[in-house]
Amino acid sequence: MKKVMLLGMIAMVLITGMMFARGQEEYPSRDITNILVWAAGGGTDLANRLVMAEMAKILKVNINVVNVTGGVGGSVGMLEAYSKPADGYTLCGLSESIVTAGVQGGWDKRVNVWDYFIIGGSPDVLSVSPNAPYKNLKELVDAMKANPKGIKAGASASGSIHHLNLLAFEKGTGAQFNFIPYTGSAPAQNAAMTGEVTVVITSVQEQSELLKAGKLRPLAMLTPDPFKFGDITIPSAFADYPDLAKYLPLEQQIGFGIRRDAPEPVKAKLREAFKQAIKAEAVQKFGRDRFFTIKGIYGDEANKIFDKLESVFSWTLWELGAAKVDPAKLGIPKP
Amino acid sequence: MTVFQALVSFFGYLGTILSSPTTLLLLFGSTILGIIFGALPGLTATLGVALLTTLTYSLDTGPALVSLLGIYVGAVYGGSYGSIMINIPGTAAAAATALDGYPKALRGEAGVAIGLTTTASFLGTIVGMLFVVVFTPIISFLALQFTSFEFFLLAFFGILISGSISTPDLVQKGWIAGFFGLFLAVVGRDPLQFYPRFTLGLPQLEGGIEVVPVLIGAFGIPQIIQVLKDRFVTAKAQQVGRVIPSWNKIMHNIPHIIRSALIGVGIGAVPGIGEDIAAWVSYGTAKNTSKHPEIYGTGCDEGIIASETANNACIGGAMIPLLSLGIPGSPPAAMLLGALLLHGIAPGPMLHVEQPTFVFQVSAILLMASAAMYICGILLAPQVVKLLRVPPALFMPIVAVLCLIGSYALGLKIFNLYLMVPIGIIAYYMGELGYPIPPLVIGVILGTMADENLRRALMVSQGSFLPFVTRPVALILLIVILLTVITSTSTFKTFKAKWTAKRSRS
Repeated sequence: MKKVMLLGMIAMVLITGMMFARGQEEYPSRDITNILVWAAGGGTDLANRLVMAEMAKILKVNINVVNVTGGVGGSVGMLEAYSKPADGYTLCGLSESIVTAGVQGGWDKRVNVWDYFIIGGSPDVLSVSPNAPYKNLKELVDAMKANPKGIKAGASASGSIHHLNLLAFEKGTGAQFNFIPYTGSAPAQNAAMTGEVTVVITSVQEQSELLKAGKLRPLAMLTPDPFKFGDITIPSAFADYPDLAKYLPLEQQIGFGIRRDAPEPVKAKLREAFKQAIKAEAVQKFGRDRFFTIKGIYGDEANKIFDKLESVFSWTLWELGAAKVDPAKLGIPKP
Repeated sequence: MTVFQALVSFFGYLGTILSSPTTLLLLFGSTILGIIFGALPGLTATLGVALLTTLTYSLDTGPALVSLLGIYVGAVYGGSYGSIMINIPGTAAAAATALDGYPKALRGEAGVAIGLTTTASFLGTIVGMLFVVVFTPIISFLALQFTSFEFFLLAFFGILISGSISTPDLVQKGWIAGFFGLFLAVVGRDPLQFYPRFTLGLPQLEGGIEVVPVLIGAFGIPQIIQVLKDRFVTAKAQQVGRVIPSWNKIMHNIPHIIRSALIGVGIGAVPGIGEDIAAWVSYGTAKNTSKHPEIYGTGCDEGIIASETANNACIGGAMIPLLSLGIPGSPPAAMLLGALLLHGIAPGPMLHVEQPTFVFQVSAILLMASAAMYICGILLAPQVVKLLRVPPALFMPIVAVLCLIGSYALGLKIFNLYLMVPIGIIAYYMGELGYPIPPLVIGVILGTMADENLRRALMVSQGSFLPFVTRPVALILLIVILLTVITSTSTFKTFKAKWTAKRSRS
């Protein structure tokens, strides 16, 4: 009798052990939640929902996208995602702006607690009102130099990715704008159409409809390569002003993160699914239709990009007086 | 595209909606949900559209758009229920409706008032829809004449006019209440350079004072205190009777309806401002141009028609810049833009080239949504009015709980409750001293716009105020503002009285 009980107990231990091992091996065994820090319908939301749908097919579980907005730099959603166990069942949908959460007082550590997966982003383009006299970038920069701070340029308010691009453009060309801040890219573009500002810097995706209709005239890309937009090719600003390479590119990076302390096998599984999902036709088509460069970067390469963004954003905001927390206190290195 | 082709596609879409039972079910379901969202304080049209954006993500574009526009139309209309029945507007857009709707309900005519708002909202939506079809190109051109200078003046005018209209005795008291709201709006980090203002070092104040807790606190709490003091009773519902207004009444008010709808469309078409300011400007215009301004505020039909027609006409107006420029005309329309992008439709100047029939699809859906709203409204009105039979001692605590939940629900922030209660108490004492509450709330809503645009305008002009008089639209707005102020002064009133007396003698 005792033997039978003993055998039974051994069997139970073995079974439990096997189940445990299986449970660890076969991630994912239940639904995954992606806590997205920006609102439904925005660029980060759209791209994440698409890629999550493809990854769900590959991982054979559901991935639910939940928008948890609020705070500074998406801090509320990030805090919530970070409070969940590092088991790979919680992801955090994010974009480049989350690196500002720290210096704005919403996040008390660096953002290198995440491992990043970058889906892509839309590059920034400098455009002018259609009735502006500048036919190319050189004419604009010459006019800026002749009349420092005389040409009005609009972009979303101080510290946004587009504002940082504008500042970097000024540094790289040595010319200065009169910067007029707006509460978003759409109002800034609207102002360029009404003629309130002459120059506007936003992403190609945000400008695409206006560029197609000729309501804005693109002068230069703020990336190293020219950009093919329909029938026209927008030249890179780097061609005339090679010094820009010191400060640019600063690109939009939309993607998601997983806690860096999550087990390696889980991360490996996600990387594999991410790689495949990026290749899916639906994702590639989204990229083509919306002028969104699909990048599919992950691992060290992605983490390095976010380190650089964190350092540039945090210190720029601090120098502008728009940061609340000293980036040095958070241990963020100077760019 | 010829007119004939346009008509064919418009009626084609109407047919598609009518012939599909699932789409019809979706339409009525979202419209009723919208009415509930509108009627409950704290749940706004923007929130409703946001919620449905996620829920309809997997649907096809057509049905998704049906439910989104259904909830939008329903919510803008539903706000009037709270205004009429308990003097607590469900949404800011319905605050002007309370001025005449509530006195009417106090007379026992709540059913009639709801019938009237339903009809006015219906007609307003229809006129807005017509404008979407016919005038999209012209109005979007005019909307582009608005730069920071004009936006500032428009916001300022909105605050001023809500002060002038809603004040029981001295207009100056209304303006003071408006400027108090304007002051509350500047609390927080400034939207252009992130400089903290009046935040008292509290991290919760960094993002500024949210509109919803102010709206609910300022309207809800005084009303609850009044009832608790038992000096005030909720409206009585003796006569449920006929809800649909008579044909004669509608015909008689046709000029009001057309004028209010035009104001609604015009204001909706200007990017960034929405239904709330449309209702106030329309009410103000109605009162100022009326031969009997003294009847406004006592429960007159014209007042209800003015605000409710305009806030619903604003929907169509807000669609115009959305469809033609990709710029949302109002906050719920901004959410709608996100939803459209999710469905792979990029509104903008190229829309009429790439999807030439989309405008007709939107207008067909707007027509159906307003019809659904009308049917639901007329059927709901007698039932809703019965709620007033619940004794105030039971009813008001429920309202109080709903107010608290409404303030909390939007951002899930406990801080909003700490904000709402003191504002409510301040609002109560302001009310006791004869200061009107609506300008306070409008001040908070439009204050951010006024502040941000004035500062930006001065950045653009490098400190010069000259563009206020050199830009044509700005000059017109400035003259209107000056006239509003001058005609309200006592000197002007004495002068006018003397002048009319003199003229009648001669």
